Amino acid sequence: MMTDTDLDALLAAPLPERDAGAFSVLLLERIAHDQARPARILSWVTVGILAVVIAAAAVFGAGARTAFDAGVMTVPAILTLLTLVLSYAVARSARE
Amino acid sequence: MEEYPLVDRAVAKDVAAFGALARLHQSNVRGLLLRLTKGNHAAADDLAQETFLEAWRGIGNFRGDSAFATWLYRIAYSRFLMAARRRKPDEQLGEWQGEAPSGAAATHARIDLERAFAQLSPPESAALTLCFALGLSNTQAADALGLPLGTLKSHILRGREKLKAILGDQP
Repeated sequence: MMTDTDLDALLAAPLPERDAGAFSVLLLERIAHDQARPARILSWVTVGILAVVIAAAAVFGAGARTAFDAGVMTVPAILTLLTLVLSYAVARSARE
Repeated sequence: MEEYPLVDRAVAKDVAAFGALARLHQSNVRGLLLRLTKGNHAAADDLAQETFLEAWRGIGNFRGDSAFATWLYRIAYSRFLMAARRRKPDEQLGEWQGEAPSGAAATHARIDLERAFAQLSPPESAALTLCFALGLSNTQAADALGLPLGTLKSHILRGREKLKAILGDQP
């Protein structure tokens, strides 16, 4: 028959010590991955916008090819500039 | 190691400080979860990882109303309950699945105790582990488990009676 004192002694024994090594390494990797999440989301959003800009540039480019006009060329020029800016943003997000 | 400066730095999103806190508390959190998962090391460690990750995400909200350890145990217990609710009936944890402790701690009494713990309900097992093995006061344990103090005391009493009956029946 187990007494209250015996049970108290058993229950009060500390839990076995667990090694922190691999657990901590994995945790820090997961934290780093978690921290990079906003940058990853931003880069995907930027890639989406980039695809739309490139498609629009292609449409305007095709229009300008059939009827060249300096005024018409302004829009593709702005789109090309936007493409470059967004490419730079994607490259920066990827580095982060 | 002094904990408060580390907590302050971790609240300011210092990864190194949080890593040091995790190393300080990982053993107890994993031990608590190991009991709750009835000796399933893989499940316990997965839940412990999720606990610390959630703690990291929410560390900005830690106001120091309770001890850092108590706050971690609260996250760990709620993570365990969420995982238990998601588990399908055929995946429920039944008997003790762990291996026998080795080395100096490998006493028959200890092994029997872990097997007996596997027969307790999660609140009973958590309440007894927090109050006895991890040294929390009843108030701190009630806070960690999100239970009224009276309910916690009932779980402790019922758990103790069950353990005495189970361990008393052993040859």
